[in-house]
Amino acid sequence: MTIMADTGAHPLRADGLHLSFGNVQVLTDVSIFLEPGRITGLIGPNGAGKTSLFNCLTGLYRPKRGRISFGDIQLEDLPPNRRANLGISRSFQHMALSADLSVLENVMVGLTLSRTTGWVGAFLPLPASRTESVAANRKAMSALASLGIASAAMMTPAELPPGTLRLVEIARAMVCEPRALLLDEPAAGLNAVETRDLMRALQRLIHPGLVVVVVEHDMDLIMQLCDQIYVLSAGRVIAYGSPQEVRRDPEVIRIYLGDPDD
Amino acid sequence: MSDMAQATKRLRLARGGLLDLRNLGAAALLCLLLALPFVVGGFLLYTLTLCFANALGALSVSLLVRYSGEVSIGHSFFVALGAYAVAIMEKQFGLSLLLSLPVAVLLGIAGGIIFAYPSRRLSGIYLAVSTMALALALPEILVHSEKVTGGFEGLYVTLVPLPSVAKELQRYYIALAILVVACLALAQLRGSRQGLALLMARAHPSAAEAFGITRGWARVSVFAISAALASVGGAVMAFASSTVSPNSFTLWSSIFLLVGSVVSLNRLTLPAGIIGGAFLTLVPNYLASAGDWVPILYGAALVAVTLCVNCASDIRLLLARRERP
Repeated sequence: MTIMADTGAHPLRADGLHLSFGNVQVLTDVSIFLEPGRITGLIGPNGAGKTSLFNCLTGLYRPKRGRISFGDIQLEDLPPNRRANLGISRSFQHMALSADLSVLENVMVGLTLSRTTGWVGAFLPLPASRTESVAANRKAMSALASLGIASAAMMTPAELPPGTLRLVEIARAMVCEPRALLLDEPAAGLNAVETRDLMRALQRLIHPGLVVVVVEHDMDLIMQLCDQIYVLSAGRVIAYGSPQEVRRDPEVIRIYLGDPDD
Repeated sequence: MSDMAQATKRLRLARGGLLDLRNLGAAALLCLLLALPFVVGGFLLYTLTLCFANALGALSVSLLVRYSGEVSIGHSFFVALGAYAVAIMEKQFGLSLLLSLPVAVLLGIAGGIIFAYPSRRLSGIYLAVSTMALALALPEILVHSEKVTGGFEGLYVTLVPLPSVAKELQRYYIALAILVVACLALAQLRGSRQGLALLMARAHPSAAEAFGITRGWARVSVFAISAALASVGGAVMAFASSTVSPNSFTLWSSIFLLVGSVVSLNRLTLPAGIIGGAFLTLVPNYLASAGDWVPILYGAALVAVTLCVNCASDIRLLLARRERP
């Protein structure tokens, strides 16, 4: 379990993805190109297939057809843990934190792949495992601090409101310094202040080697945060471009505001 | 950054080290147990030694429940691995507990992996039933491989590591030392990379996979640790009771281990282990005259504990709600 040594910039791309469950076609010929150094938004009505696309990219779903690649590496046949190994990290739309762990420990789970303590160190207080644990602690703490929730570190998820838990999820996804960060509705349940903190944290986070994809319903956030936007509807990409272009797209307007002829 | 500094400080306080109340409780209990042989002797000391062995068994089931959310009704199999390892090492090679204990640990790990790997996709009742198969098969295996295991009669364990010290005393202290070391190791596991990964895999398997933690790894690891712990319990049991026989490793002993784990609320601390072990050891002793009633009383105790725990968590929830309107 080691993270790949090279830290170069790689695009994450999907070509002609088809995904279906039984007779229900979820994704139809979806192709996206996610550039490193830019924040890509993924928007669309409920049921458009945004989360399914995420699940295909991270390996939880296996598309029926199509290719997914990260740099030169083909991902279709890799299980989720191998993709995580390549530096692809994500947050979940539905909170996926452990109630048995403190907030800080939940974030430290994000560092699992970069930690090397063996089984002996798991049971004995060896100096090496202690050093590593302190370092992981510090990293997790600074991830929480960058989202403004360091004070919640020692609490358990049950003691915190959904908005804060959402930020904990994001802290866990970004603590391992991923090369691709996929955030599924990061601002759902956040208040205005928390959303602003989140946006600032993401803007600070972005660097030329990092692919960031955000699925979100908060249009203001998406328009301010993203460099490019894909619009999905009924499992197809119906529009792509800069926030300004997407905002003007007649098809997008029709989907979001309803057809004026109806 | 002052926010972070403050939080780090709070973190240090919360971890409180030796000043933690729970640690103080465990330390007080340990002192009491260390001093006990100077006050009491004979049968009570022997019973307590068995209690330490049973505590390890109960902890092994608790570990499985805590870290994987699964239940085993076949852990007597792994306990027997350890117990017979000690007895056979003594019979064949003349080695005492301290030398055969590592063998018991390795056997436990191997047994856990061999069982868990093929059953890694089972869970809940299906896994429980497959563990039951272990418990059901075990007495037959032991009886039929008479040459090695001594068949129905079983084997004796008479060697002690320190020839100059009174047998009774060293049995007590060695068993206690092994239990304490096991509890410390479990406390260490809780905060380790693997411990966190296992707890995450238990709560959200697919989320855990997104962070590189596979279900198969989690299941096999938990079983290996739990079986090793059970095996250590068996080794201590053989050493403490100076005999092993198939009678001690029936399906019932597996179910009692589960009861012991539930009675100790599946906690992995020294006091919880002692409570579970004491329940397993003392209740049958004091109820020896009750005969057929023993399983019924066990069942009643199990129901009582389960209901009380549920009530307690309800009450806690209610209080929490009052505090936070």
